[in-house]
Amino acid sequence: MIKTKDLTKYYGKSRGIEKLNLEVNQGEIFGFIGPNGAGKSTTVRTLLNLIFPTSGQGKIFDLDIVKDTVKIRKDVGYVPAEVHFYSDMIVKDFIQYSTKFYCKDYQDFMEELAQKLELDLSRKIGDLSSGNKKKVAIVIAMVFKPKLLIFDEPTSGLDPLIQSKFFQLLKDAKKDGTTIFFSSHVLSVVQKICDRVGIIKEGQLIKVEKISQILKTKAKNIRIVSEELELEKTDDMKNFKHINDTYYFTYTGDISDLLNQIKASKIDDMSMTEPSLDEVFLHYYKAEEQS
Amino acid sequence: MKQYVKIEFIRQYKSLILWVVINCGLSILMLSMYPAFKDSIGDMMAMLDSFPQGFLEAFGLGEGGLDMSTSYGWYGMEGYLFVSLLASSYAALIGSTILSREEDDQTIEFLLSKPLSRNQVLFGKGLIVLTNLVIMNILLFLTLFIMFTIVGDFLIKTTLLIIAGIFLLQVIFASVSFALSIFITKSRQVMSISIGLVVGLFFLDIIATLTDQLSFLKYFTPYEYVNAVSIINDQHIEPTYLLISLCIIVISMTITWYVYNRKDILL
Repeated sequence: MIKTKDLTKYYGKSRGIEKLNLEVNQGEIFGFIGPNGAGKSTTVRTLLNLIFPTSGQGKIFDLDIVKDTVKIRKDVGYVPAEVHFYSDMIVKDFIQYSTKFYCKDYQDFMEELAQKLELDLSRKIGDLSSGNKKKVAIVIAMVFKPKLLIFDEPTSGLDPLIQSKFFQLLKDAKKDGTTIFFSSHVLSVVQKICDRVGIIKEGQLIKVEKISQILKTKAKNIRIVSEELELEKTDDMKNFKHINDTYYFTYTGDISDLLNQIKASKIDDMSMTEPSLDEVFLHYYKAEEQS
Repeated sequence: MKQYVKIEFIRQYKSLILWVVINCGLSILMLSMYPAFKDSIGDMMAMLDSFPQGFLEAFGLGEGGLDMSTSYGWYGMEGYLFVSLLASSYAALIGSTILSREEDDQTIEFLLSKPLSRNQVLFGKGLIVLTNLVIMNILLFLTLFIMFTIVGDFLIKTTLLIIAGIFLLQVIFASVSFALSIFITKSRQVMSISIGLVVGLFFLDIIATLTDQLSFLKYFTPYEYVNAVSIINDQHIEPTYLLISLCIIVISMTITWYVYNRKDILL
């Protein structure tokens, strides 16, 4: 659905993205994560031809992102990180204006989306909060049922209740075969809805993995409560802390070795959890820095 | 595309109404003063005789200049000059802001995420500018038709030439301002520069007429291309000036098209 080959964008001398090789499959929700300034928005804006690549190439629906951009945009819904619309227009008129570009009437679906996102269609855009403007952007992107949805930080400004309704809309769209490119720095959000995730750092894609796979690392977060235990820190124990009678650490070694180490002592409580995507993300970032 | 042009037109019509009222109002005011002036023409001509020849020439009143005893000579002296300045200001204003405002307000991201090519965006904006200028000039023509008929002697060819002169000036300033807005995306900045150009070239025209040594400057100011004396007395616009005007318009539009199709939309 989306394929880039060595896609590079420089703003003068400063780096935007560098040799980005990305592949997003049809019908999946692809998370694109990285901190601010990593190149997420540059990637999105290059894919939509708002900016021109310095070198390399990109394809959407097997069409060139520069030469065939108008054809591509007929089937792409886009929610930008910051929403700017004509403040003097009424929400309903503006959404209808937006759908006219696709030569179809989507009145019923517009009302359905607005109802689900609790968006008041009768208000003036200039009077809306940033969260409500974001809802307008979501409706505009989804209302014409495009084949591909590109979101750049779509949840910023949305309250948790609306966020969950929004995620449900994405899941419904996915069921209908829509591909979703979801760029965000909020990892918990990406973890909730994405099938695969690409991690971008300083303009380069450093890892692409299934969410289920990326969380299935060997590392576990361990908490042991024991008055008797005298635990020696080993190389397999990261972020090691001993507070009162409780040990906290991320364990990367063999669990049976750890159990052998502690079995002689009385254990009052113990927990072992999967690391969150945030922790895995930081792990990849640190590993990349070390290499 | 149709819907986009329609919305753009709606967004511009209030400003069009305001500028039409200003320009037509000024023409009505000047021509309604003509009958009273006509009665005291002798005193006025005697007073003008005491002015230096160069000064009179700057305002088209020197030897072979405008005959202020006729309604068209009066309008050429008192109305045309200011109407062409104000009409050019409107053209510069709409030309400089119609695209830059989209970038300033960052709404261009919405527009360019729709299935519209950059050429279609440019064409739509250009079409709105041209339509507004045509509407303004039709209404100005009707105003002049009514007013010249009332004051006595409506001449269709001269009136059409006056309108053609104003329209030509407007298209020049609108296309140059439009091209400038591709490079300077802050709408206030590009608007100030465009209005500065309109006023600056107006004074350059006066300087070029006042000083013989600087008469070559007349080629650099479009006001000279459509000056009142050649339009009202000679009943024509110089072909050389028409060619220069056409070149300015074509070059501005080519630069606009070339750069806009290659520029990054940075917000």
